[in-house]
Amino acid sequence: MIEVKNLYKSFDGNNMVLKNVSAVFEKGKTNLIIGKSGSGKTVLLKSILGIYDVDEGEIWYNDRNFLLADDKERKKLRQEIGMVFQGGALFDSITVADNIRFPLEMFTNMTAKEKSHRVQSCLERVNIERQAFKLFPNEISGGMQKRVSIARAIALNPKYLFCDEPNSGLDPETATVIDNLIHAITKEFEITTIINTHDMNSVIEIGESILFISKGEQEWTGTKHEVLNSGNQKLDDFIFANKLYSKMKK
Amino acid sequence: MKFFFHIGRYFVMLKKVFARPEKYRMYIRQLFHEIENLGLNSIGIVVIISVFIGGIMVIQFAYNMANPLYPSELVGLGTRDTLLLEFSSTMLALIMAGKIGSNITSEIGTMRVTEQIDSLEIMGVNSASYIILPKIVAVVFIFPFLYILSVFFGLVGGLFTGILSDVVTMKDYIDGIQFLFIPYYVMFSIIKTLVFGFLVASVPAYFGYYVQGGALEVGKASTRAVVNTNILILFFDLILTRLLLA
Repeated sequence: MIEVKNLYKSFDGNNMVLKNVSAVFEKGKTNLIIGKSGSGKTVLLKSILGIYDVDEGEIWYNDRNFLLADDKERKKLRQEIGMVFQGGALFDSITVADNIRFPLEMFTNMTAKEKSHRVQSCLERVNIERQAFKLFPNEISGGMQKRVSIARAIALNPKYLFCDEPNSGLDPETATVIDNLIHAITKEFEITTIINTHDMNSVIEIGESILFISKGEQEWTGTKHEVLNSGNQKLDDFIFANKLYSKMKK
Repeated sequence: MKFFFHIGRYFVMLKKVFARPEKYRMYIRQLFHEIENLGLNSIGIVVIISVFIGGIMVIQFAYNMANPLYPSELVGLGTRDTLLLEFSSTMLALIMAGKIGSNITSEIGTMRVTEQIDSLEIMGVNSASYIILPKIVAVVFIFPFLYILSVFFGLVGGLFTGILSDVVTMKDYIDGIQFLFIPYYVMFSIIKTLVFGFLVASVPAYFGYYVQGGALEVGKASTRAVVNTNILILFFDLILTRLLLA
């Protein structure tokens, strides 16, 4: 479980991007952070990850206070975190297989055989075919890059999985595949998953717990079953900007 | 104020760079990769530039010393000392700042804007150390070798040009390059190449590591990195020459 309490974050001291955000992201669930572009979703995600320093508040990974942890504790905690970036963020100078092997070589004492086995099982779990193992990231499609990114994120058996707009730039079919894959992995490995998205299809498909953010403020929390009838005007404006969901509601 | 901000942030980055590596084996592998990428791949351009500059120097020395009172051995001597003292250390560092420096900034800058550096950080890897330290060590290690190579090929280029253009005989040229040889000049220049190697790797790495934005900003950062590295090379050349030679 991850919990954030009264989080404030500003840039340059005056541009307040997050204002008093508090939320609980539960274990074994796909927790979604949704909101318009520029609403502060990515800042919230990167603040939880410690990429950005927050101005005020608390961030708890189970019983560990992340903001009070020293460098050594943070490093240890980070090895329990997997991250899927918006653009994949695969290391483009090494092959697909070596991208998965990288965290294993850096943080484990596995034998070469064990590492190869782990690489293979992670890539097979995300349905990457064998012939793609030796390709470089720029030689595979965007959808495959996202899947490889997921494989790399789960290589060290993380307790926490973060996904920053994992299906942006993908066609609807591939986007659904990625959503379902993340959802299945969350259940399979009992991970605390946080997904940052503005894709309503993801919300309806896998939104077990949803946090809606508007202009850096927490506006609404609920589930995919409640999201269409939330009664929150800002959330309605966000969702029903798409005519399809207006029709669905009717 | 901005100048001091950059100086401060540069030293903060260096502190991160020289932190204890997570896994030495991974760093050593990176080091060999960088020696090949930044060092061995630069040998071609070093040889070509040195041969031509050596040849040009011989012609210019011969032209300026076209006086029967000057012994023709001075052509070889002048070429040797210019190569040893300035060209093969300082000029080569300026050229390498363009080749290696822009390569380092664009590589690290691209890693930054495509979130590869964030990805390393989230894994718990000290990204500054993992990416930059092998580059600094590789460039500092390879620069003295490039210097020696440059002096050698500069002298060879001068010899062939001198003979082919008939401005100096082989005997006079070789006598000239052996005449009044001061071994300290080599030591002095190797000290300079170590400092320049550090600058050529670390300053562009700084500009790449802190780039913000997209491809356009990476390009601008590369230009800024090369300009600033060149200025610093000339500044340190002045200081080192004053300290070690005067």
